[in-house]
Amino acid sequence: MTIDELAKGVQEGKRRHLAKAITLVESNREADQQTAQELISKVRSAKETIRVGISGVPGVGKSTFIEALGNLLIEEGLKVAVLAVDPSSPATGGSILGDKTRMETLSSKDEAFIRPSPTSGTLGGVAKRTRESMMLCEAAGYDVILVETVGVGQSEFEVASMVDCFLVLMLPGAGDSLQGIKRGIMEIIDILVINKADGDQEKMAKNAVTEYQNAFHLLTPKYDGIGVEFLTVSSIKKKRIDAAWEKIQGLISVLKEKGIFEAQRKEQELNWFKRLVEDEVLRRLWGSRENKKHAEELVEKIKKGEIAPALAAKKMLEK
Amino acid sequence: MSDNNSGKENWKKGVEKLLKGGKAESLNRQSPEGFEIQALYDSEDVSKRNTDPGYPGEFPFTRGPYSSMYTQRPWTIRQYAGFSTAEESNKFYRQALEKGQKGLSVAFDLATHRGYDSDHPRVVGDVGKAGVAIDSVEDMKILFDGIPLDKMSVSMTMNGAVIPIMAAYIVAAEEQGVSPEQLSGTIQNDILKEFMVRNTYIYPPQESMRLVSDIIEYTSEKMPRFNSISISGYHMQEAGADSALELAFTLADGLEYVKTAVESGLDVDAFAPRLSFFFAIGMNFLMEVSKLRAARTLWAELMKEHFQPKNQKSLMLRTHCQTSGWSLTAQDPLNNVVRTTIEAMAAVLGGTQSLHTNSYDEAISLPTETSSRIARNTQTIIQEETDITHTVDPLGGSYAIESMTHDLKEKAKTIINEVMEMGGMAKAIEEGYPKRKIEEAAAIKQAGIDKGDITIVGVNKYVNEKEDPVDILDIDNTGVRDGQVNLIDEIKAKRDKVATKEALLAITEAAKSGEGNILDLAVEATRKRATVGEISTALEQAWGRHTATNQTIKGVYESVYKSDKGYQEIKSKIDAFSEEEGRRPRILVVKMGQDGHDRGAKVVATAFADMGFDVDVGPLFSTPEEAAKQAIENDVHVIGVSTLAAGHKTLIPDLVKILKKEEAGDIIIVAGGVIPVQDYDFLYEAGVSAIFGPGTNIPKAASKVIDEIRAQKA
Repeated sequence: MTIDELAKGVQEGKRRHLAKAITLVESNREADQQTAQELISKVRSAKETIRVGISGVPGVGKSTFIEALGNLLIEEGLKVAVLAVDPSSPATGGSILGDKTRMETLSSKDEAFIRPSPTSGTLGGVAKRTRESMMLCEAAGYDVILVETVGVGQSEFEVASMVDCFLVLMLPGAGDSLQGIKRGIMEIIDILVINKADGDQEKMAKNAVTEYQNAFHLLTPKYDGIGVEFLTVSSIKKKRIDAAWEKIQGLISVLKEKGIFEAQRKEQELNWFKRLVEDEVLRRLWGSRENKKHAEELVEKIKKGEIAPALAAKKMLEK
Repeated sequence: MSDNNSGKENWKKGVEKLLKGGKAESLNRQSPEGFEIQALYDSEDVSKRNTDPGYPGEFPFTRGPYSSMYTQRPWTIRQYAGFSTAEESNKFYRQALEKGQKGLSVAFDLATHRGYDSDHPRVVGDVGKAGVAIDSVEDMKILFDGIPLDKMSVSMTMNGAVIPIMAAYIVAAEEQGVSPEQLSGTIQNDILKEFMVRNTYIYPPQESMRLVSDIIEYTSEKMPRFNSISISGYHMQEAGADSALELAFTLADGLEYVKTAVESGLDVDAFAPRLSFFFAIGMNFLMEVSKLRAARTLWAELMKEHFQPKNQKSLMLRTHCQTSGWSLTAQDPLNNVVRTTIEAMAAVLGGTQSLHTNSYDEAISLPTETSSRIARNTQTIIQEETDITHTVDPLGGSYAIESMTHDLKEKAKTIINEVMEMGGMAKAIEEGYPKRKIEEAAAIKQAGIDKGDITIVGVNKYVNEKEDPVDILDIDNTGVRDGQVNLIDEIKAKRDKVATKEALLAITEAAKSGEGNILDLAVEATRKRATVGEISTALEQAWGRHTATNQTIKGVYESVYKSDKGYQEIKSKIDAFSEEEGRRPRILVVKMGQDGHDRGAKVVATAFADMGFDVDVGPLFSTPEEAAKQAIENDVHVIGVSTLAAGHKTLIPDLVKILKKEEAGDIIIVAGGVIPVQDYDFLYEAGVSAIFGPGTNIPKAASKVIDEIRAQKA
């Protein structure tokens, strides 16, 4: 497949082509990376889309929620792409990717595209790949992009920095539910959803909402005049999923009204540009064999006390 | 005691002389169950365990539930069978009954298990596979035509669609002139283990437990001679559980059912005597004999402790056994006659109440007439040509057997206690605990076989270089389906539509409200000619279809191999591929159709991931369309189709066709599982690149897959 054929296929919304394009973006081969950049600039689209990040601890029911939400969006006539990011990459070996077993009905629908990705040894990390895959999905005509990530490690921040709306799922835990949430995370949340609010957990979920509301009250809001939204849902019983979608849409329209939406996307692009430059500098710095060798020599010298770290750093960069 | 002590010391010296300085203890072995198997047991071992097996027919029933056991009447030969259509199966049953079989055991096809009528679009490849297709009471009547149901004990392996099948059986008997009171037999009705291993559930766990409870209630009132449940460990062993896990999880399931029934208001003595069990008997002869003895002892103790029944019969564990299907090999299949014989002996010496012996060709296909005859005769020969039946519990008092019975019982007790701490089996299953334990055991065992630590003759040792083809039975799946669909159309045209609809609506209502007995209502709907699929759907409307959370394990396979040279080679090969390709080789492991046995798929997934593949696991019960879509979106190099139920001749060509249509013809397809050699050419022709039969060495398979991907790219 030539790059033009690939680009054309993506723009025509062909599943096979989109999948191949994402593989290209994910590839660790230097040559593929260049092709991928060419491809992205060819297919860049101005389509109006909504990008939603969905996070939560393992077992909170992210996949079940996405299954329910995705189906609802399709019923409303939208096309949905799901990119699943799992940062818990093993040190060696491959990964097992079982996400779709939990999105059984969504994954079989024509209007849905779901791509779980392994993370082991990806060049540029989770963020780069996901951001570019997201653009490809938009070029292929998907209206809503859901980026799923496990709520551990850095990935939440990275995902939050590439979406319009960041939604976190929580369990209807008792009393000390705040323990599960990191301070830094609270500040990037737009919508907090208590999942599994069904049966005898319904009351617990409502209590949790009150607690969270109290706790978030003390925070400086992410945007002026826009507070965090709270709600309870049951993904498995498909209850109040429509309310969750309304909250997402509500946020998007307020952001648009206030002119934040476009500004934020622009800012994300600028940050992204900075990040790419930094990554490339680091790659060039540590990537070349010569530099590596030089660094090793300097490290040895520092160990032996033959040179001070500051001087060594200067020497390294002068090279 | 001093004599004994010096005797043992002398024995040790003798052994150590033979070992030329090695310690006698070095001959002891660690069992997979987690306790030591001693090279020698003596009276001291028995006395220090403080264990007394007592007498047969007496608490705690270690030596047998009945006083006279086989000396009065041998165990029931009960062969599990079902052949595509009700007519074929009926013919087979009648022949078997003439040839000495004493009870019937019905195998249903996959579509029926999952509550689909034969005309449902999801089951195109499944109708008539692995058993008989039953869509309505009319099929059930044909199935038992000329077989008097008041005299014949009938066992039915049904868990998912248990309500419409029980109803069809009851109504078929009714129309034969036999009332429910006269019916004898067993319904498996063991839904908990379906969520762990076999996966032929339909509804969510909680709702499914209501059905179990309704059946127990119905039978305790109206069918006093019928076993309302057969609590099964069989499928756990088949899925890879060792004897301790099988024993523990089965009894823990049993306790959960008793608890549910008692909580629903039944008196424990009203139903506990009609509980029955079902275990697998594998090749570990002494362990399996001990397992049945330990099972009876532990069940009696647990029931006494938790439910204090007044009736002694409520403490008695009665069981059916089946020889292990997993132990059968596709290679040199006549060896399986020997394996089955040894396993049958273990079941009998353990004191089973009924037994199914597998046919030697079951690792390849459904049994033929010859192979089923030999399987049946294996039992008649033990019953009538040997002296084994003339003495009750002949191994009772053996130092080894008594010690192992005790150790296994204790081990199982520990596991049951862990389950209890989690809040019982239903909770433990929700957390995925038993499933994970079983899958771990399976991966460890597979690695042991691949590595050669565990011998399987004809597979990883003493391989027969030139295999003779074996005659197999092929099912014309499309033909069966057409016949069934016609019959459904006929029934639907003739019945009183309004009455049927009302009866079905009543089922949905009862499911929603929690009121009424659902089996009672299903019997009524069946009289009105509602089909199996319609009754299932009526319940589904209230409860939905359950989707399992798929857990996968990692690292277990590798832990056994670690430093093996061949294993490291394949890992390097995969790493080299990843380097060149810019990503790891990616495989979609998928099961298509309604067969839920996923041990093979799980073991392959975890082993391939450990070796360096990125593995996508597809949902159970996929259609070829769904599998193709997932493969394309994830852009896998290869699809590994796991097939055990012969649907491959329909489903794989469909998959190939769809891939080609989607411009994804370059995705390679490999197939694994139970595939008769006769089908290989057909599948290669259809576009399959490699076929891995039972007993395939997984690292070799992985290497072959890499070669195939490379060949495709070249």
